[in-house]
Amino acid sequence: MAQFFLVVNMLLWRQFLMEWKLYSRDRAAMFWTFAFPILMLLGFGVIFRGGDAPKLSVVWVQPTQMAPKDDALLKTLEQFPTRLIALPPNEAETRWSKGETAVQVESTSDGFRMKVNSYLVAQGQMTAQIVQQAFLISQSRLQGQPLPKLIPVSMESPGHAKAANYAAFLLPGLLGMNLMSMGLFAVGMVNVSYREKGKFRRLAVTPLPKWIFLMGQVMHRLTVTLIQTIFLLIVGRLVFGIENQGSYFLLSVVMVVGTACFMAMGFALSSFADTSETYAAISNLLFFPMMFLSGVYFTLDSAPKWLQQAVIALPLSPFLKALRAVYNDGAALTSHIIGLGIVLTWTALCFGLAVKRFRWA
Amino acid sequence: MSELALRVRGLKKQYPNVLAVAGVDLDVRRGEVFGLLGPNGAGKTTTLEMIEGLINPDSGEMEILGLNWKQDGSEIRARIGVQLQSTSLFNKITPREALTLYGGYYPKARTASELLELVQLTDKADAYHITLSGGQMQRLALAMALVNDPELVFLDEPTTGLDPQARQSLWEVVRKIKSEGRTVILTTHYMDEAEALCDRLAIMDHGQVLTEGTPAELISQLAIPSVVELSFEGRAPATEGFEALLGNTIEVRGDLWEIPTPDPKSLLPRLLEAAEKARIPYQQVHVRRATLEDVFLHKTGHSLRD
Repeated sequence: MAQFFLVVNMLLWRQFLMEWKLYSRDRAAMFWTFAFPILMLLGFGVIFRGGDAPKLSVVWVQPTQMAPKDDALLKTLEQFPTRLIALPPNEAETRWSKGETAVQVESTSDGFRMKVNSYLVAQGQMTAQIVQQAFLISQSRLQGQPLPKLIPVSMESPGHAKAANYAAFLLPGLLGMNLMSMGLFAVGMVNVSYREKGKFRRLAVTPLPKWIFLMGQVMHRLTVTLIQTIFLLIVGRLVFGIENQGSYFLLSVVMVVGTACFMAMGFALSSFADTSETYAAISNLLFFPMMFLSGVYFTLDSAPKWLQQAVIALPLSPFLKALRAVYNDGAALTSHIIGLGIVLTWTALCFGLAVKRFRWA
Repeated sequence: MSELALRVRGLKKQYPNVLAVAGVDLDVRRGEVFGLLGPNGAGKTTTLEMIEGLINPDSGEMEILGLNWKQDGSEIRARIGVQLQSTSLFNKITPREALTLYGGYYPKARTASELLELVQLTDKADAYHITLSGGQMQRLALAMALVNDPELVFLDEPTTGLDPQARQSLWEVVRKIKSEGRTVILTTHYMDEAEALCDRLAIMDHGQVLTEGTPAELISQLAIPSVVELSFEGRAPATEGFEALLGNTIEVRGDLWEIPTPDPKSLLPRLLEAAEKARIPYQQVHVRRATLEDVFLHKTGHSLRD
């Protein structure tokens, strides 16, 4: 018995080392696996850095003659986080028709006219609100009335954590993305292509227990994910000063639950495709909705209710909510038990399917 | 120890639309090279893969080295070597690594360098698999099938798609394997390969073994061990009239007339005289021994390439 375990351990260890050896030879693939999440964090983290958010620009069509109301509006706008681009009418029109202008304000005989670019509606509506406020204040100023008071705005994270920037929101999302692409692509896709190309068949004529081969592969993917996670946590801390607000134990618990889920999903999904092409189609059908709708890059608060509810039924969304609760807010998992239950249900379902349907040939 | 390396009785496999193997019996003796010869789709590979334990047969009995799959699966795997029709490896694994890796799956294994030497790949030992030529990849696949020092080796179309030189060098390796005392079972759809390598062979078509024996036996089973060929420039003319004049049947194949005969010595003078008389514009006369190709044609009614 002891001998048996020794042999199995040795075979498994050798299989695991071989996976790493061959993986490390595909330099480009390895580089991108580790660099992509880090570049995403660096890129978006810097672009949407809190505090010095880029100013919203407003195109101001220069009138032939400046009226007092015009002066008052421009002066008030200076106090808001806007960048004023003053252009003569023909140049303003050119810029508008190129689609670069989000909001254009023009003086008329009885007031102002403002148009908002329907392609840049999010940025445009926000800018338009600011111009409206500035207009009301400048009106009061002109008429010598007391200025209306504004509600002070501050930016904070939902959990009152000290780091309040976008990178802190993004980092757990990227951890989830890593797990999902590990499961769906590095596990599921690879298994389909091994089956398709007959690698499993070649193994089947040797006495190697096939589970040892799969286990070696799973161990390799787990170490890759672990390294990705550590890299992201370190870069988050060094570059953006964000760190895990909760316990590392709970963070590990959530990560282990997610890893098991997406790995089982990869195995289960691979049993539904005979060719790599079919698999790519099936997996993208799951991957893209989950990536865009599960709150990896942005929250879905403004999405329709039915969509939010549909998405919570997919595993990535509840997983990320639990992960963010720990990482961003240092919370306990008590309020995420249902969410983790959903993830575990998916895990059990996929695991069952994988065991039942997994094919070697 | 049983004298037979393989004994198969009544092996059958039905696929949804086709009866791939329709009751095959085989006896392969230890130490011989046994060939399964037949066109594509004859059921050779399905038969082989059932014996190798890759496909479950619908019915039939198999004894492999005196063992059977139900009770001795892992022992059979440890004692046979298999080269599949195509062997897929990681692009960036080297032959030495592949042999060491696969050798590690077995209780006993030959060393990588010994195997590389056997298949003449020593100078490619540390090159990535993807950089090997088709012939080199096939030789590596063959070396992998020998990694566990197997008693019984299965080769599924080992030379398909190779150029003549690569085929010759692979044949050399197969002969070496036989000289080491191993039993080899191979499939092929090349007549010359079967004739050159096999001690005995079975001709398969439509999932059945049509006939079985040594190449010489199979050829001598034909009543007509020789063929006289007349070659023409361009298409051979029709034979009506001339057949009656000669008193023999003539088969027209492309630019040839083929006249099967048990006695070419007496046919030749008659043939030349008759051809002279009838002013047949032939170019050359050629007498050859009947080949497996003729056996196949005779047994199946169609040529191997059809």
